[in-house]
Amino acid sequence: MRLFIRQALLLSLKDTRLFFKDRFALGFALLFPILFIVAFSLALGDIGPEDEQLRMAVATEEENGFSREVIDILTVTETTGVDEWDPKDAGLALHEGRIPGYLLFPVDFTQRIFSGESTEILVITADGDPETKAVLDGLARSIGGRIGTLSLAVRGVTELEGLGSLDLVKLGELGAAPPSIFFTSEQVGDVEPFNATNFTLPGYLTMFVFFAAALGAEAIARERQTQTLERLLANGVRRSSIVGGKMLASLYRGLLQLFFLWVLGIFAFSIDFGTSPLAVIAVSVFMAVASSAFGVMLAALVQTVKSASSAAVLTSLTLAPLGGCWWPLFITPDWMQALARLTPHGWANDAFNKLMLFGAEGQDVLVHIGALALFAVAFLAVAVGRFRTVSAN
Amino acid sequence: MEDFLVASDLTKSFDGTQVVASASFTVRSQEIFGLLGPNGAGKTTTIRMLSTVLDPDEGDIRIGGHSVAGESDAVRRLIGVCPQELALYPELSATDNLVFFGRMAGLPGGEAKARAAEILERVGLTDRAKDAVRKYSGGMKRRVNIAIALMSKPRLLFLDEPTVGIDPQSRNHIFDTVLALRDEGMSVLYTTHYMEEADRLCDRIGIMDAGHVIALGTPVELKTRIGNPDTTTLEEVFLSLTGRSLRD
Repeated sequence: MRLFIRQALLLSLKDTRLFFKDRFALGFALLFPILFIVAFSLALGDIGPEDEQLRMAVATEEENGFSREVIDILTVTETTGVDEWDPKDAGLALHEGRIPGYLLFPVDFTQRIFSGESTEILVITADGDPETKAVLDGLARSIGGRIGTLSLAVRGVTELEGLGSLDLVKLGELGAAPPSIFFTSEQVGDVEPFNATNFTLPGYLTMFVFFAAALGAEAIARERQTQTLERLLANGVRRSSIVGGKMLASLYRGLLQLFFLWVLGIFAFSIDFGTSPLAVIAVSVFMAVASSAFGVMLAALVQTVKSASSAAVLTSLTLAPLGGCWWPLFITPDWMQALARLTPHGWANDAFNKLMLFGAEGQDVLVHIGALALFAVAFLAVAVGRFRTVSAN
Repeated sequence: MEDFLVASDLTKSFDGTQVVASASFTVRSQEIFGLLGPNGAGKTTTIRMLSTVLDPDEGDIRIGGHSVAGESDAVRRLIGVCPQELALYPELSATDNLVFFGRMAGLPGGEAKARAAEILERVGLTDRAKDAVRKYSGGMKRRVNIAIALMSKPRLLFLDEPTVGIDPQSRNHIFDTVLALRDEGMSVLYTTHYMEEADRLCDRIGIMDAGHVIALGTPVELKTRIGNPDTTTLEEVFLSLTGRSLRD
């Protein structure tokens, strides 16, 4: 074990030294991502704050009742951004794409509230429009909460009238009763105006950490071709030490990229690590570990320097968009989000988005960290199993 | 002289193609043994098996009394390998290359530096020791390639075509170095395509073709097989044994 650590460390330090001597590699790993981050942050910048106000549509099937009063309150001023629609017109407008979605109060909405039964507010949106869905969900939840309180009060008064005296136990039971109004919708998270760099930087950081690690496969293939790996082996260096050393060197490079780009992001782009900066760091480190294992695995699978180079470019340019490096995953259709789960990039980006855009806590990304660790183990297993020190020729 | 390396019935195949077939030979202590053969004869594969990089499919190798199969660590402490390619890091200086490989072979940092300086002086590169190897001429790079193999103080040195593509001066320097190493007690297994080089350097020669060792003996013994050793060249012997047809 001591020999393994010694040899792996010496090898990784030598590779790191070579990395610093290679200006192109250094520029590609550290400066190239900045170009992408700046360009895409400018292109996508201020998406939130400068968006036009979202118009929300509401409709009711009731002639009178609570829903009518709610709609009157919501539409009394222009600033609320709520328009009333006829239920049929709203359905048609959604179908024709004139509105992105609407809230619909059912015909028995008021009656059910007064009778103490559950009722629901329908949130109807077009497929693949999580932003509108999130806004309407929030509105429905707010309305539901307020009317639920009112309903509780009405039921309390009714019950008290029936009892003829104050029964604190009965009142307590009413207070503990579940809310009587529901809305049927899927929660997709709060959408708030955000700094575009908060998703462009993690995206391109992930892409370039993996890209640099994949290009490391080319260097390993070259060493195989020039017989330096063979020479090391004949020199008494263990095969496992070579794999470990190569992976460590790649990890150092990845961590350097992370440190450099995160620091740049904080000071130059004012990115926000959210409420759990440590979780962002943990995800970053596991992502770097997975990327280094990926690079060594790629080196183990390819035969020549040329094929290593092609594989590095191909895998990087395929996995990056699939994994949400070029655009936020949460704006993509469900099938694409599911596909992203097959890539380490997808898990890393989803974790970064949750932490940096949606205020998630560390515990919310434990699964993501676990997935990245699993990817690292799987990549390393393939690397160890297939790593060759001798060129095929 | 005792046999320092004994290779018996070595066989190796890749994807169903037999590259080395029942090759047997010995390398004695303090001997330069030349392994000659046309392209694809199996020389490099044989060296890879002898230097513990590849496992033979069949056969046995003993170096310095240790079995390559069972005691590879002990064998690796006895050997130095100079591959056919320039197996070094061009961006690093000659000193840094030597120190790196020395440390990987287990030398402590101080000892590796001292040994590197000593070897670089031996191969005539002290003046350029701190320059990046990429700035060197072809001959200088070849000398660094050999120097690296000497870092672990081997008792058996494998030199796989060490003089390819270099000028006569560098070649002569390498010859002198190899002869001096032999005289100091080292055994050398030397492969080359230059017959006059083998004739000049090697104490004994093995000729391989299609994976088989087809001839074994001193240069004079091999020449005697086809004519007068004073007038026959090793190249004539080689062509007589391996034929004149072109090889891949």
